[in-house]
This record gives sequence, C-alpha cells and structure tokens, in this order.
Amino acid sequence: MRNQKLLWMVEIAIFAAIGYVLDQLKFSIWAQGGSVSLVMLPIILIAIRWGLSAGLMTGLIVGLLNMTINPYIVHWAQALLDYVFAFTFVGFAAIVRKQVLDGVSGNRKNKIALFVIIGTIIGGLLRFICHTLAGAIFFKEYAGDQNAWIYSIGYNGSYMVPAIILTAVAAVLIFTASPRLIKKEN
Amino acid sequence: MMEKMIFGRFIPGDSFVHQLDPRSKLIFTFIFVVIVFLANNVATYGLLLIFTLFVILISRIRLYFLINGLKPVIILVIFTFLIHILFTREGDVLLNLGFLEVYEGGLRQGIFISIRFVVLVFVTTILTLTTSPISITDGLEVLLNPLKKFKLPIHELALMMSIALRFIPTLMDETDKIMKAQMARGSDLGAGPIKDRIKAVVPLLVPLFVSAFKRAEDLATAMEVRGYRGGEGRTRYRQLKWDAKDTTCIFALVLMTALLVFFRS
Repeated sequence: MRNQKLLWMVEIAIFAAIGYVLDQLKFSIWAQGGSVSLVMLPIILIAIRWGLSAGLMTGLIVGLLNMTINPYIVHWAQALLDYVFAFTFVGFAAIVRKQVLDGVSGNRKNKIALFVIIGTIIGGLLRFICHTLAGAIFFKEYAGDQNAWIYSIGYNGSYMVPAIILTAVAAVLIFTASPRLIKKEN
Repeated sequence: MMEKMIFGRFIPGDSFVHQLDPRSKLIFTFIFVVIVFLANNVATYGLLLIFTLFVILISRIRLYFLINGLKPVIILVIFTFLIHILFTREGDVLLNLGFLEVYEGGLRQGIFISIRFVVLVFVTTILTLTTSPISITDGLEVLLNPLKKFKLPIHELALMMSIALRFIPTLMDETDKIMKAQMARGSDLGAGPIKDRIKAVVPLLVPLFVSAFKRAEDLATAMEVRGYRGGEGRTRYRQLKWDAKDTTCIFALVLMTALLVFFRS
C-alpha cells in the first residue's frame, strides 16, 4: 500500500513550487501588472484535493519560499503577515472541499463551479486582509498615520481583486475540465 | 516570457558574510529588523547607516546587485519621503513656495524614514545574496526546532521546502516547454482579449498539474523504497558549522543594539 503521508508531503512540496513558478509568470492582462498571478491556484487545488491542513501547509510553503528567495521586509509584523499568514490562509479554501468533491462525484459542473468560486473568494479575501494589515502597519510606521488604511486597501486591492477574479476563473475552467485533478484515486 | 525568470538572487562568493553559518545570518537579520526601530535621532540613524555600510563592505557585494534589490520598492521610499515632506509640520520652515511649506521636522523625518527603509532592504538583500535558499532552509529548520514541542512538523516543513526548492527550476523548464508546445499548436498566450488569454491557461496548466502529480508519485515511491521514515535519527548531507566568525557576528549585533539603546533619545 502506498504511504499516504509521504505522498501528502511530496504533493504539497511540488505544488508549492508550482505556486512559486506561477507567481513569477505574471499575466500581463493589466497595464500596471502588480502581482496579479495565479499563485493561489495550486494552493486551492491541494486544499480541495487533500483537505484543510494540506491547503494551509501548501500556502505556508509558498510564503516561506517567497521569503527565502526574494524577501521585502520593512517591519517584523509585516514580514509575518505578508509572507507567513497571507499565503497560509489561502488554504482555507478547503472549507468548500466537501461540496466540490460531491459535485465531482455527481458530475455536476455547476456545483463544482459555484463552490470553487466561493472557496477562491474565501482564500483570496483572507490573503487580502493579511496584506492589507501588513500594508497598514507599513504606512503607519513609515508615512505617519495619515489614512494608512485607505492607502493599504487601495494598494493591495489594486492587485488582489484582479488576482482573485483571475484565479477563480482559471480554477473553474481547470477543475471542471479535468475533475480528476482534484479527486484522488485510492 | 520565461527568459526574465531568474531563480533567486544568490551569488556565490567567499567573503566573510558568505562564510557565515546560515543560522547566525538568520538570527542577525531577524534581530536587525527589530532593532532598526530603536533609532530615533541623528546619532542612532547615523550608527545604523554606518553599520549597514560596513556589512555591505565585508560582504563584498557589488553595489549594482543591492541597488537592483531596491528597485521594486524605490517608489515606496519616494512616496513615504514625500508624505513626510508635505505633511509633517514641525520645527522651522525651511522652504516656502506659497502653496508648499517644507518644515525642518518634515525633512528630518523623511530622511530618517528613508534610511530605515533602505537599511532594512539592504540587510535582507545581503542575506539572500550571500546565502542560498537551501542553506536558509537548513538554518530555519534548526532555529525553528524548539517549536517541535508544540507538535509542529518542523522537520517535514523543512523537507518540503527543500523538495520545493529542488523542483522550482525543473518546473520552470517544464512550464516553458508546455508553453512552447502549445504555441507550436497555434495557441497564443500573450495576445488577444482577456477572455482568450485566460482560456489559454487551461491547456498550459492541466498538463503541468498532471505531470506534477506523476512526479510527486515517483518521488514518493523513490523515498519509500529508500526507507524514508521521517525526522527521528536522520543524518544530514549538508552539515552546519558554527565557528568564531558566527560568534563575532552575533557579538557585533549585541554591541550595535547596546549602542542604539544608549544613544537613542
């Protein structure tokens, strides 16, 4: 019998690596680019395929990869929020796991699509909140407290909102086209 | 599209900083990020600046690479500088243009904040320029070891990080290959309306994901047949060695902290 724990670890590691690769491959859909990328897609995929702890772990590793390879640290709390919590929380997309897998078993594409979108929005919003908190800390420390929250929501929203939409669309297209990706064979 | 992708910023070398143990460099960076906030006057910011220049000097990194690391955040530095110039109203008026008054306090705050920003970016950039991601992971594993008491899977985390780092270049190549294969079939990834571009992602990502699962299975099998049983009693291929240099580095940091505490107002 296959050692499931080992497969769990290796799939998480490799999909975290894919997350990092997709993050480098920015889709030039918007003029200013920002960080609109599909980095959240592999995290959501693993979250639905294996469950909450795997999703959180994949996110954590994506964040740590970013932190060890190319960090921008201006405050210890900002580092923790931007690199540790933000990506880890994308794993909470696993909340919709049961519904999505039900949809796959019953071959109901609308159900898959609906819950994948909900999951992506949940994970994406949690990440957005972390980046916004980190940004507010940055603006408070560096720019005085003038409108720190507005700056932060504006700056982070400018790339997070398109990123969530892009990820949701791509996730729906991919998961409905090949449901075998999210359903493990036993 | 993929040519621009460079994996990490590590540049091999044999300077004092390169030779340090990743653990001492990580401890140094973590503590430095905290003590930077102790600075609050000319003396302490001056100290920080001199200390950072000294670290740059002994790391023997070409300034070009450091400036490169600063590039993505230069707009933020300018932004915060301008905010202080425009909105901090303390001290004497230095410049009066009618619509714009620059105060002495604003200019000083602006310069202080810019120094803090640049110093932080430089120190973290030096860490990644002189330490490969894999040594950072090895260092982190040891430093996070105490967290094992709280049942956190630190060994597994470090192993997954190492596997991910090992596979990033492979997966970049593979993504590139699949993109070229799809382009050869007439798919245009970089053009057309947004809708078409997003749709073009499916034939790129599905093969990438499928082959990644295959890779994961092969790797898991290979690890299993070689008898991988988790963290207990595992020996290491890459050994970390703490020597006098590392102690010196930590000592310098402690001294720096003491000076900052002493001179801050």
